[in-house]
Amino acid sequence: MMSKRWDIFCCVVDNYGDIGVTWRLARQLAAEHDQAVRLWVDEPAAFLRLCPTADASLSSQRIDGVEVCHWSQDFPQVEVADVVIEAFACNLPASYIEAMAVGERKPLWLNLEYLSAEAWVAGCHVLPSPQAGGLQKFFFFPGFTEGTGGLLRERDLLTRRRAFQAVPNARRDFLAQIGVTPADDARLISLFAYENAALADWLDALAVDTRPTLLLVPHGRIEGDLCRWLGVADTEPGSRWQRGNLQVQLLPFLSQHDYDRLLWSCDFNAVRGEDSFVRAQWAGRPLLWHIYQQEEGAHWDKLDAFLDLYCAGLSPQAADAQKSLWHAWNGQGDMGAAWVQAQAHIEEHSRYAGDWCDEQVLRPDLASALVRFSGKWLSCAT
Amino acid sequence: MKTAQEMKANSVALIDGHPWLIQKAEFTKSGRNSAIVKMKLKNLINGSKTETVYKADDKMEPVILDRKEVTLSYINGEDYVFMDPEYNSYELRAEDLESVLPFIEEGMSDICEAVFFDGKVISVDLPTTIVRQITYTENSARGDTSGKVMKPAKLRNGTEVKVADFCEIDDWIEIDTRDGSYKNRTQAPTA
Repeated sequence: MMSKRWDIFCCVVDNYGDIGVTWRLARQLAAEHDQAVRLWVDEPAAFLRLCPTADASLSSQRIDGVEVCHWSQDFPQVEVADVVIEAFACNLPASYIEAMAVGERKPLWLNLEYLSAEAWVAGCHVLPSPQAGGLQKFFFFPGFTEGTGGLLRERDLLTRRRAFQAVPNARRDFLAQIGVTPADDARLISLFAYENAALADWLDALAVDTRPTLLLVPHGRIEGDLCRWLGVADTEPGSRWQRGNLQVQLLPFLSQHDYDRLLWSCDFNAVRGEDSFVRAQWAGRPLLWHIYQQEEGAHWDKLDAFLDLYCAGLSPQAADAQKSLWHAWNGQGDMGAAWVQAQAHIEEHSRYAGDWCDEQVLRPDLASALVRFSGKWLSCAT
Repeated sequence: MKTAQEMKANSVALIDGHPWLIQKAEFTKSGRNSAIVKMKLKNLINGSKTETVYKADDKMEPVILDRKEVTLSYINGEDYVFMDPEYNSYELRAEDLESVLPFIEEGMSDICEAVFFDGKVISVDLPTTIVRQITYTENSARGDTSGKVMKPAKLRNGTEVKVADFCEIDDWIEIDTRDGSYKNRTQAPTA
């Protein structure tokens, strides 16, 4: 496909999910599809966490083939792109919408929506959303099934992951780089979550487990609960604590590249939100999802929709254990008991995590789906 | 202006200068406390139909419509004929009644509202609460009397609704036509 100009707008609401997804998408469109991409970010500081080489004071800078721009209140007059993405239903600058409407050639306007496994998603994917001024907007839904936009996945991701996991030294060297030297018999678990009251029960269970565990915790919102359980006032990256058979080590906030390698290194990954949730699935290891809580408990439908889809290939007993564990982690049930129950099925869960990943990799990835859809639309529009 | 979430089935929105009848509107939470509304639209000028989706807080321009009280006169295949108190009849096709069709049945006495655009009837609204009779349902399996346990039941026109476990064949029930939900068991309507 010929190179097109893309403008991706990202409004950072909280955490790093929005910017994590859009930065990943922007890089992939540029690197793998040769598209000219501008990424507009309203909070340069949030972007800086993911990309420490960036300069937050610049209004525009080129990184990894992407033009990263500060989306300021006083939005500059810029040439409208061929494809415009409002990520996660953010509101585009009014002046930009006006410029889209008056242009001779109308751009393709996409709302890249949140990831959900719910059944209604396929029925809304790529539906039009006609706007004033003759502008054509479409909703684009990522997803796990046929009829959705797929998941973000770089072309060589699985090749790199498999190569990494096949070489013991690769894991050891990476962990050493981030200051981690696990005992040979230790089970490695990564923990990335929002504040979570179920953490104490889980850590209690890990501490009394017969198998030693090294829990690796990248800097994030779970630290308050962790400090409470450990009985310490505050934490520093690199700090370690031993409680029974559980060793806890705090890590600095990791780059996306390093976080992938952490997921590939661990036997089990606790993740949250959208971006780390997807990356953990590509790691091919069993996972535990802390879903973003929504008003009126709407997140439970999303959690159960994914569980139903994911667990369809598990034995009934392993599926029940998986569901109980995820429910407990999200506030419904006894986390300690659920963890013990899940350990009885850990071999099946581990095997299945790889199968699930192999199944998902057969679907087109999100960036390719966006390029294909925009290519078709733009060729019809000319 | 109204938000997409405020635009209900059988209302008309002016979209890019064209009047579109909203035949169906489904509200869904998407993610992080945002929501979408999936709509089935019919263009009132050329009759074309489309499915669309909007952010729940997208602004839409409603078209003020004329309304008139009517009752169902008779059904003839796909044609539904309603009558106003002056004995004027208004004929609609089944496809025009999409959002209310599951609750329309021969002999119903509900006071409905015919909706007009440009002097032409375009749809009919039912009252928010209607009373219908159960023609078939399984016997209560669990003996639940709380009303929290639900089971499927069929109405006279074949529509299936979820009702309280204690409901039985020939019982009359109240239904909320906005979402098709069971409200409670009630008395037979008086003629």
